[in-house]
Amino acid sequence: MPLPMADVITMIKNNISKRGTPLPISTGEATGWAMDLDIPHGGETILYTGLLYQLTPFIESVVDRLDKLDDESLGGLLKAGKVFSGILDISRFFVKPDKDEIREQHNKIKRIALLLRKAGVEFGYLYKDEMYSGVLLYDLGLEDEFKKHAEKVFNKFRKHGVKKVITIDPHSTHVLRSVYPQYIEGFEIEVKNYLEILSERGLSPENNIEEDITIHDPCYYARYEDIIQQPRSLLENGGLHIVEAEKSGRLTHCCGGPLESLSPKIAAEIAKYRAAELSGYCDKVVVMCPICYSNLKRVARGIIELTDISSILWKIYGD
Amino acid sequence: MDMLQKASEEIHRALYMKSLRKGLSRSVNRLVPAPYRILDRWRYLLGYTEEIREAKEKVLNDIDYYIDATMKMVEETKGHAYYAKTKDEAVKLVKDLVGKDKLIVKSKSMVTEELGLREELDRDNTVFETDLGELLIQFSRDKPMHTTAPAIHITREKAIMLLKRHGVKVRDNMSTMEIVGMVRLFLREKFVKADAGISGANSIAADTGSIFLVSNEGNIRNTTSLPPIHIAITGVEKIMPTMELAFKQAVTQAAYAGLYPPTYVSVISGPSSTADIEFERVYGVHGPKEVHVILYDGGRVEALKDEVISEQLYCIRCGRCQAECPIWQLVGNTWGGRVYGGPMGMGWTAIIEGIEKASSLSHFCLLCGKCREVCPMKIDMPRIIRYLKMYYFKYVK
Repeated sequence: MPLPMADVITMIKNNISKRGTPLPISTGEATGWAMDLDIPHGGETILYTGLLYQLTPFIESVVDRLDKLDDESLGGLLKAGKVFSGILDISRFFVKPDKDEIREQHNKIKRIALLLRKAGVEFGYLYKDEMYSGVLLYDLGLEDEFKKHAEKVFNKFRKHGVKKVITIDPHSTHVLRSVYPQYIEGFEIEVKNYLEILSERGLSPENNIEEDITIHDPCYYARYEDIIQQPRSLLENGGLHIVEAEKSGRLTHCCGGPLESLSPKIAAEIAKYRAAELSGYCDKVVVMCPICYSNLKRVARGIIELTDISSILWKIYGD
Repeated sequence: MDMLQKASEEIHRALYMKSLRKGLSRSVNRLVPAPYRILDRWRYLLGYTEEIREAKEKVLNDIDYYIDATMKMVEETKGHAYYAKTKDEAVKLVKDLVGKDKLIVKSKSMVTEELGLREELDRDNTVFETDLGELLIQFSRDKPMHTTAPAIHITREKAIMLLKRHGVKVRDNMSTMEIVGMVRLFLREKFVKADAGISGANSIAADTGSIFLVSNEGNIRNTTSLPPIHIAITGVEKIMPTMELAFKQAVTQAAYAGLYPPTYVSVISGPSSTADIEFERVYGVHGPKEVHVILYDGGRVEALKDEVISEQLYCIRCGRCQAECPIWQLVGNTWGGRVYGGPMGMGWTAIIEGIEKASSLSHFCLLCGKCREVCPMKIDMPRIIRYLKMYYFKYVK
């Protein structure tokens, strides 16, 4: 019995409009990564996390729970149709993720920030004022809610005098760079992705890693934002040998992630298909998107070994 | 229960249908790589796609003129031309032309699928599909799972079972070649005895009224030349300004569907005729005596008013977006609409079944953009689907 999709969408919508994020996340859980980095508050150029890395462990725990609900016969819980209908009900099946997983996500962002610093990029951060991009509203088709949310985000940027934003994941990059200008009049903030910046700056590698890897391009980098060559150059300069999958670059194959909250089952089947395909090229798979990472992780055990690109870049350019 | 949840249940059921998954994955593995190989070898096809897109723009911007011009040319070549605005009009036209208690052979056509034509005609007549895949669909009372490979989900074992049940003399241990031999024998008799042949058209030329039909099995040549009457039905968006462009559209569709060169391309401009006795022109020699061409609207012209949805009318229906879609690869045409499934099905369902229906189905799309990437016409299907998702929350829910 599949999940009541319309109710799941309503739940996500309600959460974003009341809390600003699809799932409840505390300030510490959102900004903790920056704790010891002394990043200035605000500024013309800021690092914008879009909260996607931080939210991933929370999404995983909810998807896991939804997936199990999906398996259960429609008992009283779901039949009442109330579970998904309101903001309060989220607590009924929301389990806080493991602290280590939250920390691991924070480490990824931290490494990205340190790499940017190493490349000579000066940037600030909005800390608790940083807002989620609203990309999920846009992807679900909740246009009015998305527009309202995007305006709030834009106003935050304006309040802090932000002129340039550095993004760190494909979804936030796309929505800020290519969608916000369609919805917000006068949105003239420059949006650059950290992979583009690192590649332009020509960082010199500290370590050489001679290893075979294959790349799982995220759809939104490859097909929507033309970020294909930059990560490859960054990895190859560090000695890595990229075994290109046939479905890579613009022809990459989706991980299934975008459907994970509406149908964990379909999302997992797509992930299985993709993981099996990638394993035919190389066991070590580099991903660049927290959503890809989390959805592929559900099926990766014993098939492929996943690494976020930030961890490898850190090994090459950071240490 | 709302349409969204109903669709969700169907899709999740399909997800666990072993035979469907097996059939789909076998076929997908063959379907996906084929166009890449073809385009690499016959590179001019990439140029064709641009010419076709340009020509389509011209036709769609001036659709009334092109419908008119095409009909005039069909009549000039001694064919009979009709314009059918609605499904009922189209079905009635065909029924009136065919009559009752007739034997009809039919080649696969998605437009006739839109009309439910086989089922409609079957009430008063006997109809046989002649494309093997579509014959299997007819026998299984199923729906086509792919635009050019309708029985993509039917395994060999199931195919044998279906054919046997309907009197085709196949046995369990037969090879594909032997099965095909038996189907040939079975259909040969129908072709010869048929009172009418019904086909679609891959393309139709406004400057000559010629219809283009592509096939590999050779069934279309028999369907359109052996019976005394040939009725062709095609969507108005298949009109091309010239014969040259119509040819290009037909072969490009074949290429992107993974079969190139197509074995047969039939070009039909009116009924067969001869003037070999004293230069007196008479019609109906070895080919049909009557050729009827129905230009079917079925929501297309209305859809042109919608700036977003109308882009789907550029579709040449090769089905490549389906084969490459991560969702379609799992559930086939279970997702997308009654006739056209997968990514192209979103736009087409909006056109032929209404935007409301399509918008309920749009939520299963990942918006990964692969369809747009591989589409020969570069149709922005993700844009159409986003539009449908938004429509759902504004007007449906």
